[in-house]
Amino acid sequence: MSEALLEAQAVDTLPGFDETLFAAIQAEPQPEMLKRKREEAFKDYLQIASPTNRDEEWRRTDPALFPIAEVKRLATLPQVDALPAGPSDDEFDVVIAVQADGFAIMRNNDTPEKLGITISSLAEAAEQQPELVEHYLQGKALPATSGKFEAFNDAFWNVGFFVHIPEKVEWERGLLIRYHITEPDSLLAPRLVVVAGRNSRAVIAEHLESADDIRFVAVPERELYVDESANFKLVSLQEWGAQSYQITNDWGLVQRDANLNWITLNFGTTRSKMKFGSDVAGPGSAADMDGIFFASGDQHMDQRTLQIHSSPDTYSRLLYKGAVKDIGRSVYQGLIIARPGAIRVDAYQTNNNLVLDNGARADSIPGLLIDADDLKCSHGSTIGNLDPEQLFYLRSRGLDEEAARRALILGFFEEVIDRIPQAFIRDIVHRNIEAKMES
Amino acid sequence: MSSESTAILDDYKYGFYTDIETDSVPKGLNEDVIRIISEKKQEPEWMLEWRLKAYRWWLKQQEPKWAHLEYPPVDFQDICYYSAPKKQSENPDEIDEELAATFEKLGVPVHERNRLAGVAVDAVFDSVSVATTHRDLLEEKGIIFCSISEAIREHPELVKKYLGTVVPYTDNYYASLNSAVFTDGSFCYIPKGVRCPVDLSTYFRINALDTGQFERTLIVAEESSYVSYLEGCTAPSRDRNQLHAAVVELIALDDAEIKYATVQNWYAGDKEGKGGIYNFVTKRGHCRGKNAKISWTQVEAGSAITWKYPSVIMEGDNSSGAFYSVAVTTNKMQADTGTKMIHVGNNTKSTIVSKGISAGKSINSYRGLVQVMPDAANCRNYSNCDSMLIGGECSANTFPYIESENSSAVIEHEATTSRVSEDQIFYLKSRGLSEEDAISMVVNGFAREVFKQLPLEFSVEAIKLLEMKLEGSIG
Repeated sequence: MSEALLEAQAVDTLPGFDETLFAAIQAEPQPEMLKRKREEAFKDYLQIASPTNRDEEWRRTDPALFPIAEVKRLATLPQVDALPAGPSDDEFDVVIAVQADGFAIMRNNDTPEKLGITISSLAEAAEQQPELVEHYLQGKALPATSGKFEAFNDAFWNVGFFVHIPEKVEWERGLLIRYHITEPDSLLAPRLVVVAGRNSRAVIAEHLESADDIRFVAVPERELYVDESANFKLVSLQEWGAQSYQITNDWGLVQRDANLNWITLNFGTTRSKMKFGSDVAGPGSAADMDGIFFASGDQHMDQRTLQIHSSPDTYSRLLYKGAVKDIGRSVYQGLIIARPGAIRVDAYQTNNNLVLDNGARADSIPGLLIDADDLKCSHGSTIGNLDPEQLFYLRSRGLDEEAARRALILGFFEEVIDRIPQAFIRDIVHRNIEAKMES
Repeated sequence: MSSESTAILDDYKYGFYTDIETDSVPKGLNEDVIRIISEKKQEPEWMLEWRLKAYRWWLKQQEPKWAHLEYPPVDFQDICYYSAPKKQSENPDEIDEELAATFEKLGVPVHERNRLAGVAVDAVFDSVSVATTHRDLLEEKGIIFCSISEAIREHPELVKKYLGTVVPYTDNYYASLNSAVFTDGSFCYIPKGVRCPVDLSTYFRINALDTGQFERTLIVAEESSYVSYLEGCTAPSRDRNQLHAAVVELIALDDAEIKYATVQNWYAGDKEGKGGIYNFVTKRGHCRGKNAKISWTQVEAGSAITWKYPSVIMEGDNSSGAFYSVAVTTNKMQADTGTKMIHVGNNTKSTIVSKGISAGKSINSYRGLVQVMPDAANCRNYSNCDSMLIGGECSANTFPYIESENSSAVIEHEATTSRVSEDQIFYLKSRGLSEEDAISMVVNGFAREVFKQLPLEFSVEAIKLLEMKLEGSIG
């Protein structure tokens, strides 16, 4: 056997996430199908080389920044009946609360039941509807070749949810998923699989929090399946604590005439590496992706977005707005991909960055990878500070420097904030931005 | 050198081969070959030392693979690193008739009778410079314009002072290779306060089979001087790939301005992608002084594979860099080209205008970097990268990298990719133009912003070149 082949067969594990841990997970009681899926993912995980800062994707965010070796995977979370209520729980039909020691699915009313909507843990769903769940689990939303951390989540996930909205169901009030982790030196790998059936309409909000004084690593993965003519909205507000780390891999697959509306709001963590990818895979489908990120102190946020057009007559629009201050660092790396034959595509990608202090750094790497003609793909990217003329104008109207700056910064983000459907999330976003400006 | 000509016939106008006797070193690369090259060029010891250092460094390097390009591995031992026309006449003002005829055919005015052209030319054939024109006029002003080999012999102190200061031999794989084996190229020195009265021009031609061309160009503009420099290149049509790995270094001191324009039309291979030049070039300018200006204008119409990023390091305060590019790819050509704008000084400004046109089954990528250093205040960059697609089998990619570490920087980047507008074509056709003419007009309009940066004659030539390239690729 050649040396290269031998090398390819060498196993590559992240410290602590090895055969021993995996064997222990597999020994836990769980549906046969999930066990099999974990097994497959674990094989991939062993094969895929760990990323290094020599890889283009990780060049600006060294994988060594993430203290995987120093944290312990939280034991697979058990389901409990109820957990303390949150302030905005009333606005939703169902609330899922997740803590280090367990999760609860709390139903405020019986609307989802009447509509036939499935909201359950992955394990429960896999038991009740194994074929349906298997069809979507690690399904086509994910890219053909997954990365190390996608396989990592697929093998080691410790809490998972499956949401299925049946055909023609319009779900007005939707679902809130709240995470609040207080366990020090822990690792959480949550999975979320959402299927929005044909002609359905639904909204899901996520709120991710952890205590500021604990070291914590999150490796989430989301798979969103938006079926024909469905309309699905996901708002994800990330406020992990000051000593937390996050590596995410999220993918959305949008079918014919369907619409995915995806908003990501990132304020927390000390180091994070995030990937949001959508594939408008059926004619007439559209993906709207919006994002806000704000890195202050010594935060480091790295985001990669992909707008894949694998079908003709598709539309995508992306707007990511970010700010960096103090010695914060942000990386935005976006790519529009038009696959061969994807004609009459209209894709736009905008990334605006505010660099508020010397020493803060923003990298913007928008990209176009176009293998078809008869289309229109564009991107625009700006990096700059507040416009001195606008500041001057506001001050001439009687605002002091601080208030003028605040007004301009909030105004800068407002374009995205406006698109958030939930008022309480808008409030939290405002609070976050103001807190960061004052820090 | 065998006289057998393997040149193949196709639409490439400059694809002929001149059958002349050449003096070549055997194929392959080792320290002895470098010693032979150095000896043939009668170089001083320090130059040879430098070459050998570069070669030893190169041996330790790996070929870069990050570009969006696909090509078989290059066998660096199967290349002849030095080839020169044998008959070099005693009188340096007279060049071999056959050579003269070749350059005549290419439209390069090597004889000064073409004074009207207003261009001083240095012509490089395979590995050596064969003629430099307008010497008297330039000497009057104290301008040095000669081949780099001559400069190493005649002006060693200047070459020693500047060579490798912008692109060190450790810079990258191809630059190291070039530093080890570079054969000829131009050297330009514009003294303090002098405005070069004519455009300087170098014309490169690869003639011999299996020859690599490794030219090295060094331009130094002293305080308050100005020079405009043009570079053109062609090669015979052959069904084997040839390597071209050049290095160009520009140095602009206080208040100096350098304009560098390239019309690159190396042989691009045939319709099936057979043959053609591998163009792996490192070009970099250094605004070393205050208020210095460097601009790159390039029309990239040839080469099977292009890997080229003319860059500007703006170190002096208030200095500026510009990059204007039209890159056309047809058939199976692949281009990965763009620029790097590095802002080091305060109040530095850069502009990037890149127009990519892809047709046939080609791949055309823009790759660029705009970097603002933490201590560089009030920097400004504007980038605009547009791609046009002609036909359904080509690709156009854009990979801009923007890195800002200073809060006072203002950076804007914009890119679009779209097809030739059907409405515009329809309108032009309704006015009586044929489809081909209509497309050519639209494409010219698309690239106009860059063409107008070129001197007039070059601009006309570039437009013609573009038309020729796109002929038959429509439909």
